[in-house]
Amino acid sequence: MQLGSLAWRGIAARPLRSALTIGSIAVGVAIVTATLIANQASGDAVRRAAQELLGNATLRVRAFDPAGFTPRGVTTLRRLPGVTAAAPVGERRLTLSTLPGADEQVFGLLALGLDPAVESLVRQPRLVSGSPLSEGDPTGVLVAARWASEHRLGIGDQLLIVGRLPDAPALRIVGLIDDLGLGALERGEVLLVDRAQLDASLANPTPVSAVDLVIEPGTAGAVGAALDAQLAEPFVVETAADAAARFARAQTSFAPIAFLFGLVAMIVGAFLVANTLAMTLTERLREIGLLRAAGTTGRQVVGIFVRQGLIFGVAGSITGVVAGIGLAALMIGFLRSTRAVLVDGLPIGLATLLIPALLGLVVTAVASAVPAWQAAQTSPLVALRPSARAGAGLGQRLRWIVLLELGVALVGLAVYPFERGATSIAAVVLALAFLVGGAVAAAWLLLPLARVVGRPFEWFFGAEGMLGRANLGRDRSRTGLTVGALMIALAAVVALGTVADSARQTAARWVASVLPGGTAIRLALPEEIDLFRPTFTQTPGVAAASPVAEFPAVVGEGSAVREVSLAGIDPTVFQDAGALLLVDGNRATAFNALRDGGAVLIPEPMARRDGLAVGDTIGIGTPGAELQPYRVAGILEYTFPARSPDGAILLSLADAADRFAVTTAGLWALVPERGISQAAFRQAVGDTAQSLAAEPLDATELASELARSLDRLIGLFDVLALVALAVAAAGILNALTVGVVERAREIAILRSHGMTVGQVQAMVVSEAAILGAIGGVLAVGTGLAVAWAMVVVGAPRDFTAGLSVSWPLLITTFLLGVGVAAVAGLYPARLAAGQPIVSTLKHFE
Amino acid sequence: MSALILEARDLVKTYPAGSGSVEALRGASLSVARGEFVALMGPSGSGKSTMLQLLGGLDAPTSGSVVIDGVDVSALDEEQRTLTRRAKTGFVFQFFNLIPLLSVAENVALPFLIAGDSAAQHRDRVAELLGLVGLAAKADARPDELSAGEQQRVALARALATEPAILLADEPTGNLDYTTGAEILALLWDSCDRLGQTIVLVTHDARAAAYADRVLVIRDGSVRDEIPLGRRADHAPAVLIRRLAALGL
Repeated sequence: MQLGSLAWRGIAARPLRSALTIGSIAVGVAIVTATLIANQASGDAVRRAAQELLGNATLRVRAFDPAGFTPRGVTTLRRLPGVTAAAPVGERRLTLSTLPGADEQVFGLLALGLDPAVESLVRQPRLVSGSPLSEGDPTGVLVAARWASEHRLGIGDQLLIVGRLPDAPALRIVGLIDDLGLGALERGEVLLVDRAQLDASLANPTPVSAVDLVIEPGTAGAVGAALDAQLAEPFVVETAADAAARFARAQTSFAPIAFLFGLVAMIVGAFLVANTLAMTLTERLREIGLLRAAGTTGRQVVGIFVRQGLIFGVAGSITGVVAGIGLAALMIGFLRSTRAVLVDGLPIGLATLLIPALLGLVVTAVASAVPAWQAAQTSPLVALRPSARAGAGLGQRLRWIVLLELGVALVGLAVYPFERGATSIAAVVLALAFLVGGAVAAAWLLLPLARVVGRPFEWFFGAEGMLGRANLGRDRSRTGLTVGALMIALAAVVALGTVADSARQTAARWVASVLPGGTAIRLALPEEIDLFRPTFTQTPGVAAASPVAEFPAVVGEGSAVREVSLAGIDPTVFQDAGALLLVDGNRATAFNALRDGGAVLIPEPMARRDGLAVGDTIGIGTPGAELQPYRVAGILEYTFPARSPDGAILLSLADAADRFAVTTAGLWALVPERGISQAAFRQAVGDTAQSLAAEPLDATELASELARSLDRLIGLFDVLALVALAVAAAGILNALTVGVVERAREIAILRSHGMTVGQVQAMVVSEAAILGAIGGVLAVGTGLAVAWAMVVVGAPRDFTAGLSVSWPLLITTFLLGVGVAAVAGLYPARLAAGQPIVSTLKHFE
Repeated sequence: MSALILEARDLVKTYPAGSGSVEALRGASLSVARGEFVALMGPSGSGKSTMLQLLGGLDAPTSGSVVIDGVDVSALDEEQRTLTRRAKTGFVFQFFNLIPLLSVAENVALPFLIAGDSAAQHRDRVAELLGLVGLAAKADARPDELSAGEQQRVALARALATEPAILLADEPTGNLDYTTGAEILALLWDSCDRLGQTIVLVTHDARAAAYADRVLVIRDGSVRDEIPLGRRADHAPAVLIRRLAALGL
């Protein structure tokens, strides 16, 4: 036998604890692996989808006028020198239904009108099944495969356009497209249809909003010059790369939060590994004393411990990487099902496997360093004393843990995917600091908190609760670190829930603020305002209606010129209904200025970026025309989403008509009469929308829809947080088991004095539950601090409603902590109760 | 002496050992009267500690019976045996086995706490016991602040707390120096003499056994000899040592 084999034997002697330690490392490594793979899958999917949207096209020429390009304009584009193919794209919203009957379904889709003859030259959407659009089958349409599956539709099923011309034929699904590429638009709620058929089915033709151009290599400059010279209609040119980047920016990125949770799992794992190795030292102190007395050098003792740590590290990292691949597959499957994030494939690269494995190894190696050093310093005389206790003091052990956790955090930050994250590095650093700081504070606050939190348990369990509470103070650093690990996992749950709730509040506030009365109707295409006004104002229960007429314009001059979106509204309707929140400017003055003309309300992001304040003047106009001055009357907290990333600049409808010749609007905001029931009003609006083949919008439903999408994504992180919680629970089980073994004699004494098996179990379970309660209390504070960092520091502009604290969430998390800890205490409780009194007492004599 | 408070009949205790078994007790019997101080002596491995564990209901005999204060503990299940132990016995062990997290007073009150009472309910009784063992001034101290003798005195006070039918002491002086051990034995004797506490003491030390009224000698798993000493205030061991020598011990 070699001395080194003691490391193996030490591991084999405690199979449960060894398995838990390896499991702790493995879970941390697995989550990091899975998030890296899923992040890679998301990046790949976004790139591929963006690529497929443009296909072979090099340029996308977008019509500036909402009415789109005229047929003449499209012909001009097609004939430009250097252009080998020009594919027009018409966009409109459609309300469709399945065939009438008991199972009839109605849904809104974004219809993309395409020309099948040229489409094959530009892009080939990936088909899951069926065939592409073809000239010979004009009623054939393509829908996204997942959407079809969710609506129990398949190839051959027929769809009817609501509001179609009387003799228009039904459309028929001929192919199902992949969820990436064109199928990724509008979260899969998209219909690819023959443009000519679309125009033949409806009274109004669908505007050609863009034409994608395939050009001969090296002719981009010439094509650009020819565009300027020959295309008389206003247009905007985007390269395929610009369009792809714009698409990618619009996609939800989950990478930063996912990676943060990977780090959280690693931090929890590091706590537990450090704790376990320290516990091993305590248990093997006498053995070390014997070895040292027999002449084993300190260096040899270090070798035993480091070897043991490395065995844990290698086993945990390998297991973690393998489990991480499986977890990644599950995460990717889940993300695909939510459609909240674009993901594709299971990309396994060397780096995505090596980084987490190395992280696991380094964490374990560092975690084993201090116990190894302590073991080497142990004097044989001290170690062989019956009352010998191992380990450093609380302060020393915590210093070492803080250093270890800082190391993990720094390595994590070094590989953190900031490039696609909206959360600032300051927020991430703060969040990590709160988590680690909170966990370390757990050791210091353990006893005072135990005195307070333990009271109800003492009251309920009596002596068992009192002893359970007192046991927590036996090894403050061990218990503190165990609570710390639990606290981090629970804090992640609190932080996630709070961030989600804050996002929900922001969504609700945003939707409510831009929709006066909380209701609107979205038309398939912009329609004449004067023609449609009576339809809306005469809808039963409607007190007032305002069109929201969106149109493009430009600001800036020369090379600084850029496209913006404007929306004409009826200021009185919005003002009277209390809609639109201003972050700067007097409300009454601002609305008066809009009514007087020559004034605008600008979105807050635009004001911030361009350094604009209330009272400033900006020039707005159409391309090629002279810009007209507008005074900034107010700065909006929220505005209507528009083509411009900042959202729409608002002006009065009169200005839109007089200065930009706007006569149509695609959205109408409706304000209900006082006293009308919400159900009756909703019914009336629904009837009007149906008669116009339009889509009714409800603020509450819109906010819920946004929240649902967010909830699905948050659900994934909740699962990751619960995995971290499971690791922490394993840590509790581990620590309590060691505690029970250490005080076996005391338990036997208690039993000899008449403590029943049930009382012993209650003592250990109450110890665990008090530990969970302390973790829960600290997690509430720390979780809120982490949420504050992510919401207020990290992305204040994404969470304009501020931090929303949900009491049910906090109470649930606290109870979760108590419950999980109590369950983790069941095994040690059983172990404690099952110890034979006589042999235990004999053992210690 | 008055009526019997403890009676063991034909106790057999076997332990599994490898593929076979070891018989620790082979039909041992004894009886102890209320208020009596009995010492069990015997060479190592004779079964005296096993006997004490069975008498205290810490373990169940393979066969035979143990009746404590009218209750046949050998016929009870684990839970009932625990409750009987709680109500009728007190233990003092060689290692003092105090709960380090509890104060001296809380350690003494432990049997009450285990029974579901609060320490406050028994404050006077705890104070009385601490006075009895001479530790009234250290009620709030922690066990690790006490000397070995003081710790054993706390353990004794704890064992006496519920006025048990019988106090069982397993080598209570085995871990103490002579002077400190004598103090503990004096306290035991005093509790028996003044308070009428029944005591069964297991020891291999004749000087400790000399405090007893009667010494029972266990050999090869059964009670082979009885040495009556009577209640004596001087505790002189000479007579006992001579009798033990005569028995070859």
